[in-house]
Amino acid sequence: MRPNTEHDPNHGNDAPPAPSAAPTVGGEAPAGAGAGGMEEILRRETHSSRAVASIIAAVLVAGLCGYALLETAVRAIGQPPWLVDPQTAAEKVVSLPNGVSPLLLGVTGAVVVMAGLFFFLNAVLPGRRARHILRDRRAAVVVDDEVIASALARRARVAANVSQEQVMVTVSRQHVQVSVRPTSGVPLSPDAVLAAVQDELGDMTLSPSPDVRITVASTGVVGA
Amino acid sequence: MNGTPRILNRVLIGVLGIKLLAIGVLLILLATVPAVAVWWQGWSAGVWSLWRDLFERTRFPGRAESWLWIVVVLVLLLVIGAMVAWVAQQGKGRTNLLVFEEGPGQVPGNVRIGSGVAEQALRAALADRPDLAGVTVATYDFRGEPGLRIRLQPRQGVAPHRLAADVSALVEALDRALGKRTPVLIHIASGARSRFGRAERVR
Repeated sequence: MRPNTEHDPNHGNDAPPAPSAAPTVGGEAPAGAGAGGMEEILRRETHSSRAVASIIAAVLVAGLCGYALLETAVRAIGQPPWLVDPQTAAEKVVSLPNGVSPLLLGVTGAVVVMAGLFFFLNAVLPGRRARHILRDRRAAVVVDDEVIASALARRARVAANVSQEQVMVTVSRQHVQVSVRPTSGVPLSPDAVLAAVQDELGDMTLSPSPDVRITVASTGVVGA
Repeated sequence: MNGTPRILNRVLIGVLGIKLLAIGVLLILLATVPAVAVWWQGWSAGVWSLWRDLFERTRFPGRAESWLWIVVVLVLLLVIGAMVAWVAQQGKGRTNLLVFEEGPGQVPGNVRIGSGVAEQALRAALADRPDLAGVTVATYDFRGEPGLRIRLQPRQGVAPHRLAADVSALVEALDRALGKRTPVLIHIASGARSRFGRAERVR
């Protein structure tokens, strides 16, 4: 595997006939988006854009307006209403607790409160994604926590000398939780696993940098 | 790094959320507290009679309908149009020019390099790596400047920092080839393909 990955940059390098052009422009400083632009990109990539909630909200509002438009247009050209005439609807709303059962009214209110809470919290909460930033000298790099967990699990598995199913790693913003279930009868050193995982994490240079906790289950797995 | 208007999203969602919360709380109070029901009937009847007067005064001469209905229709159409425009803003920003230089040297004219150059070069360079389940390269317009977004889906257990180092070496080679440093985002993602695909066993 190694020779293959080492080979790729060279391949990409000599493929275009660019060496003559490179010295003239390549030495210049990068354009516009320098460190500030990178920071901005990283901040945007580690936070949710709220696009889904926005689309739901837009469809909801457009749908309501579409229905109101239908009834209003029907009314404006003097045709009979489709479901409810705007005037009778307004009169029903004015006399509200009467005419509707309190249970139905309360449940409708609760549903509307839930929807409102969903949108409001989406607007107010920071909306961090389960991603970490990885420092790199050229590019802005973001890594999904699941990828980090999978890499750490692999390292922990090798260090503990157990099978894939016996290691579980959970990565959150500040913590990495490693749970290992040892094989029955085979001693397992938590310190060695911890050191291996910390070594791998140190190589990754994540930001924010999480700390590692390890738990070794008291019961073992038979015949793994 | 796409051009989704994040602040606008949050403001509009927040306004809608607060309105829905207020309506919902009012409905629950109407159903449970009789005093609120009395207040509501008095207050909303006043508002409604105000509007009804307005509709009475704006009738077409000689007809029963008010021209205010047409205004209402126009306002609703405007709101629907605004909502459609808002949805269209989400995730925009794809571009198809990677480099655009006006008169870069002694020769008159300008230089344009399409985004397909970088996208295909990177995709081809990463195509035969056994530790990747998928690669997507796209060019986005970021603050008026094109930037590359490389999305990698590694197989299970691949160390992300080594992958990032390899890919950023490729990007540096691309910089030398193009003669220009573009902002690059590498996103090492997990997805269905990396989750359910086989793990890379040999390294």
